[in-house]
Amino acid sequence: MPTLASTTLPPMFGFDGSLDDPGVRLLLMVISGLLAAAVLIVGALAASGRVGPEMRSELTKRTLAWAVMAPLVGLPILLGKLPTVLMVTIIGLLCYREFARATGLFRDKTMSALVAVGIVLFNFAALDHWFGLWQALSPLSLIVIAACAILRDQPKGYIQRVGLGVFSVLLFGACLSHLSYFANEPTYRAPLLLLIIAMGMNDVFAFCTGKLIGGPKLRPNTSPGKTISGALGAIALTTTLAVVLGSRVFSGELAALPHLIVMGMLVSIAGILGDLTVSSVKRDVGIKDMGNVIPGHGGVLDRVNSLLLAAPAIFHYVMYFRGLGEGQPTRIFSRLFLG
Amino acid sequence: MPDTPSASEPTPPSPPAASAGDWAYAPAKDHGLSELERARSYKREAGLISTIGHQCWWAGVRTYLRLYHRLQVIGAEHFPKEPPFILVANHSSHLDAMVLAAPLPMRLRDRIFPVAAADVFFENAPVTLFASLMLNALPMHRANRGRHALKELRERLVGEPCAFILFPEGARSRTGEMLPVKSGIGMIVAESAVPVVPCWLEGCFEAMRPNQKLPRPRKIRMHIGPAERFAGTPNTRDGWDHIAKTLESRIRSLRPG
Repeated sequence: MPTLASTTLPPMFGFDGSLDDPGVRLLLMVISGLLAAAVLIVGALAASGRVGPEMRSELTKRTLAWAVMAPLVGLPILLGKLPTVLMVTIIGLLCYREFARATGLFRDKTMSALVAVGIVLFNFAALDHWFGLWQALSPLSLIVIAACAILRDQPKGYIQRVGLGVFSVLLFGACLSHLSYFANEPTYRAPLLLLIIAMGMNDVFAFCTGKLIGGPKLRPNTSPGKTISGALGAIALTTTLAVVLGSRVFSGELAALPHLIVMGMLVSIAGILGDLTVSSVKRDVGIKDMGNVIPGHGGVLDRVNSLLLAAPAIFHYVMYFRGLGEGQPTRIFSRLFLG
Repeated sequence: MPDTPSASEPTPPSPPAASAGDWAYAPAKDHGLSELERARSYKREAGLISTIGHQCWWAGVRTYLRLYHRLQVIGAEHFPKEPPFILVANHSSHLDAMVLAAPLPMRLRDRIFPVAAADVFFENAPVTLFASLMLNALPMHRANRGRHALKELRERLVGEPCAFILFPEGARSRTGEMLPVKSGIGMIVAESAVPVVPCWLEGCFEAMRPNQKLPRPRKIRMHIGPAERFAGTPNTRDGWDHIAKTLESRIRSLRPG
């Protein structure tokens, strides 16, 4: 009878020498530098009096929120696989909660329970390093949701219930759990941190270039604030950032310039599209923000929207060219119980 | 009379997504509020976590009352089958609301709201979260915001529709003797067809007096009378007083012996 002895399990918790990785050290310095720069810039703008009091308080709130979010997200990643997966699971559940309350799906308690279980299972499969289950969960959750939605014998609204349920479990379970699955690679910390830095900066770049250049809107009905110049600026600058930092973070084949350029563009474009996806949902139901958990940013979903599509996109690019978690133990927990 | 709720003011039509039956595409009515604001809001809608909280709490209360107080319900046939309805009773113990709500069907749990004193149950954060997540209580402001609270309660009662548990005396009796019924209940039900079910709670005061920390294992009996409706009673001060008098005598008449 196998037991859950720590010696038979790969490390789940602990810094695990992560600070010895020069890539991680570099990215931690980048994060601190960016936060310090943000504080200085906002302070300088406020002192110069070139921005109105409303804009100033908005910028201050946003910067403070970043200063709180950075350690909340960064620390679990440094602390190991289990904390990383737990963080992603909690973010997924919070996103679903906001999504369900915005679309009205929360009134269907059975569906909400199914989606919540689905999100947890996707992340468990990633933690367990059970690729088969992780892949199977997408069709399985469709089957279970479509089947359970029959039980009420209320065909009115069936498509809406099932559609929203499947959409949620795929976005906040399947898509987000790609972040968890990254942690199956022992050197996951630097790439994951880089992805999150690139995501955050992508929004900042879009905001700044859009404000500086202006011009025609990207999708005016979906998100009136976004301009084409902002999107192009974000793609150019995020790609540059990915090239500069990526060459120090990635090793082997993926450190080559063409790969870094493609990955940078992929993250940037998928980020913008994820943002627009959530904007479309908000416009459709007629609300401004998904929530008010994060001052200046709105809800959790308003903040992580750009990761929803970017995480799987970049994951499968890396998986295809380099592989992920190869040679690492698989089915770490499930093997103990299911054999 | 700008601050008086009157029936000449039409109640706004209820949004389409109010009940699970006609499920539609609409955000929660409490969207955009912070957690605490939501807990205190009359527009609060239960999500998965609150539903689990309500089910667990009331299942526990039901078992406790049955075992520890041997709760006996007399006249259960007078309970309306579906909301909206209001249960009113004499109030002399913290057990009262538990006794009134516990026998109601579990499937209505998210739509049954004990109306609780805002200054006791909605003041500090932990108690407020307990009141909303477990009890599913709605606040009644006794001081300056009372009129406003009654108007909000009236709107929710018929809009959702839902069920209220409330104590029309407006306070807990310290002696066990019933206090005079206040006219506030009239502002909620005048000119509406909502049934008001009078109940007499026997034994709650003996089991847990207002100064007591822990309940004693006394037998509790709940006497339920036939529902009253006040569709024909005008929504005026005279009408409210009439409703208060009627209900007071109906509740007292259920007292055994």
